[in-house]
Amino acid sequence: MHRIEAGAGDSDYDTHPFGTDVMWQTNASVLRHRGHEEQTWTETFPPTRENALENNWVDMWLQNENRPIKDLYCSMQRKIEIRRKQERKMKKKTGLESWKEEKGRSWRKFRRKMSVVLQHLILWKGSLQTIGGQFGTGIQSYFTFLRFLVLLNFVTFLLVAGFIVIPSIAFNELGLNQTVSHSPNNSKCFEYNPNPQGLERFYVFIMNILMGTGFMEWTYMFYGYYKKTSVNFSNFSYNVPLAYLVTTLAYFLLSLLWTVIRSVQGFKQSLITDDSSVNNYTDKVLAAWDFCIKDEKIITLKQRSIRYELKVDLEEEKIKRLHAQRTICQRAGIYSVRILLNLIVIALLCGAFYCIYRSTQESQLLLALESVKGNFILELLAGYLPSIVITAANFILPLLFNITIKWEQYILSVEIRLTLVRCVFLRLASLGMLLYSLWNNITCGDTENKTPCDNCGYNYVENKCWETRVGQEMYKLLIFDFLTVLVMILLVDFPRKMIVDHCSCKLVQLWGQQEFVVPQFVLDIIYGQTVCWIGTFFCPLLPLLNTVKYFIIFYMKRLTLFSNCRPADRTFRASNANFFFLLVLLLGLAISWVPVLYSIFVMTPSKPCGPFRDQAFIWDTISMAVESLPKVARNFFEFIASQAFAIPLFFFSCIVMFYLMALGSSYGKLVKTLKDQLQMERSRKILLNQAYQ
Amino acid sequence: MGNKQTIFTDEQLDAYQDCTFFTRKEILRLHGRFYELAPNIVPMDYTDDPDVKLPMQLIINMPELMENPFKERIVQSFSEDGEGNLSFNDFVDMFSVMSEMAPRELKAIYAFKIYDFNTDNFICKSDLEKTLNKLTREELEEEEVTLVCEKVIEEADMDGDGKLAFADFENMISKAPDFLSTFHIRI
Repeated sequence: MHRIEAGAGDSDYDTHPFGTDVMWQTNASVLRHRGHEEQTWTETFPPTRENALENNWVDMWLQNENRPIKDLYCSMQRKIEIRRKQERKMKKKTGLESWKEEKGRSWRKFRRKMSVVLQHLILWKGSLQTIGGQFGTGIQSYFTFLRFLVLLNFVTFLLVAGFIVIPSIAFNELGLNQTVSHSPNNSKCFEYNPNPQGLERFYVFIMNILMGTGFMEWTYMFYGYYKKTSVNFSNFSYNVPLAYLVTTLAYFLLSLLWTVIRSVQGFKQSLITDDSSVNNYTDKVLAAWDFCIKDEKIITLKQRSIRYELKVDLEEEKIKRLHAQRTICQRAGIYSVRILLNLIVIALLCGAFYCIYRSTQESQLLLALESVKGNFILELLAGYLPSIVITAANFILPLLFNITIKWEQYILSVEIRLTLVRCVFLRLASLGMLLYSLWNNITCGDTENKTPCDNCGYNYVENKCWETRVGQEMYKLLIFDFLTVLVMILLVDFPRKMIVDHCSCKLVQLWGQQEFVVPQFVLDIIYGQTVCWIGTFFCPLLPLLNTVKYFIIFYMKRLTLFSNCRPADRTFRASNANFFFLLVLLLGLAISWVPVLYSIFVMTPSKPCGPFRDQAFIWDTISMAVESLPKVARNFFEFIASQAFAIPLFFFSCIVMFYLMALGSSYGKLVKTLKDQLQMERSRKILLNQAYQ
Repeated sequence: MGNKQTIFTDEQLDAYQDCTFFTRKEILRLHGRFYELAPNIVPMDYTDDPDVKLPMQLIINMPELMENPFKERIVQSFSEDGEGNLSFNDFVDMFSVMSEMAPRELKAIYAFKIYDFNTDNFICKSDLEKTLNKLTREELEEEEVTLVCEKVIEEADMDGDGKLAFADFENMISKAPDFLSTFHIRI
């Protein structure tokens, strides 16, 4: 730190009066300090706010940094005086300068007005503020994430509706140019009539809504209803299959971009704080108190949670020391226990996956049984069997994980992370397993008897229109997930609160109120969003359903938060979370691409339904469209798709990636070197202090 | 509503808008809140810049501050005389710095002032102990308090003098990602 002597002449030193170089970046200029002789700007904090004005550094700071007055550290009175001085200076300026200042001033005013207007448009702003104020920013981050997904789904729905649904409805109503698929020799593949004939009982109507079969199957909800329409007027042509495909790619790209943009913020934060363990205690004591909270109860809870966390941290230190002192024998014991428990976890996961795999097949078999067909409840259960098994696995297995991890004897932070990773894997993999078993069913993957697939290229016997079948499964998953959330809130949270409030026996009090466990809830909604992404290609109205579902869930969760929940014991850090959950969302997005891309490129589209009937592959639409373009555009696309372009592009991306990785690691090394230098300076100072005493 | 208010001149409102992070409407609302604290002392007409200060006792009874363990320190940090008596300018300044839009450097300066209980421009061990006791309602044991304070100084002290100067504090704050969102009061 530099010292400026009072009354010094032109000095080479420039020190920010606060003694830090962080905010200070000007060229050499003179700092004259008027005041007591012995007072010098050392590392200490400036004595009063008034002295800050006495120096030219204020004007220089404002000019060079181009910062507004409101960022200045001084009393309001001084700020108003500085502003008056600026105004007077502005009046003295020449024509051009003052015109620029005027423009700058009015632009700032306009931006202020615009931001006020835009504030009103933000969805649920008031709710989020109340939640943040009462429960802290950790829980608020869950609701912010939910709002992001509502908006994402809504925009996806607008895309799908605008380019697929509404044109289809319009062309249907106008009775335009529809190609009817002609049935050649194997006319077996072209029979498809899901519309029910004759009068139906009421419960069948409900059943059809809940399962997506019957009359629902032949609506705009599912892929099967869309026709291979393409209109060609004089100056307007619209190809529905092409629009279907391109819109699919468009909304996937949009979701990717939007999520990545959101996660860049969080990524920057977590890069800076990657060694958060270094500043653990300072963070908890000096930067963790939430000044927003107004409610006395919540403040008491927050104080209790801070105390709990500090105690746990001190405990962890002791445990870490104990762990370091473990003998080799003990270590071997611990490792063997861990290996055993990991094997148990893997066995549990495999068991769950096998159950999911079998449930998809059993569901179809059960629905075909006569004894099930007449019975409403049984039919519902049989149809929802895959969803029930997935939800049960996602509910039971995390409880088992929580038990096994206690025996693995990790420190608490590692425990939490490992459990979270296992839960994420469970959720996404169980969805993957369901899709795998569906695909096996549709393409006769693992059965010895491949005859159902011979005629039509897919399992025509069981699924006349396989895309609709996939859409129905996703539709059922969505509905069941929604029902589970509602049931949990209405039939578990509320009664639990009532019991805890009115029954004072010890066991019940130990059970306590429901904790608002943010990570589990966020994983729930990421799971729901992945289902929606997979299902939108096969069920175009799914984003609308998802928007409505998340909209209602927002209000239900808010209700349960305010009435039933207490904040979790361990404070949930919003910053870490935001990045991690967006990462898991991207993982879900990547997983959702796999079935869609596989269907587009590899699978045979259904013959009797959908906008891609009697094509060999769904992707042929694009090839045919490219054929019809003018020669230049066609050559361009052919070039892009050819290997002459793809391979150099691949190598180029590899080079860019390696360059960025090298850059990143060199920055990391630089940061480490600087940190070491800081440490060295510190030790040197301590030594010097000791030497001079 | 609109431009018919007579509390401030237009020039004053423009000045407030430039010098704080509030809009015109919010400044008028703040004046309303200030007036509510002491209707018989605070004038409705601020066009001639009256010099009216409210004592700390009235300010810390506001619902936004009432339950905050650091309420006295917050009010003292923004008062001119250090005793906690706020004029309307100080009042607006306080909520402006504590609003969402204030930059990190500005908030860090005031956070430092708030945690510096003995106002010696250093956060020393006794300041940390007082902070910790306010944070945990004095429910931590003595030795735990000492241990935690020692760990904090160990982590953050850069120049080895056993207490935190502003540079140390700011260095630590720049690495705390939640600081901006937690160090704010909504009014």
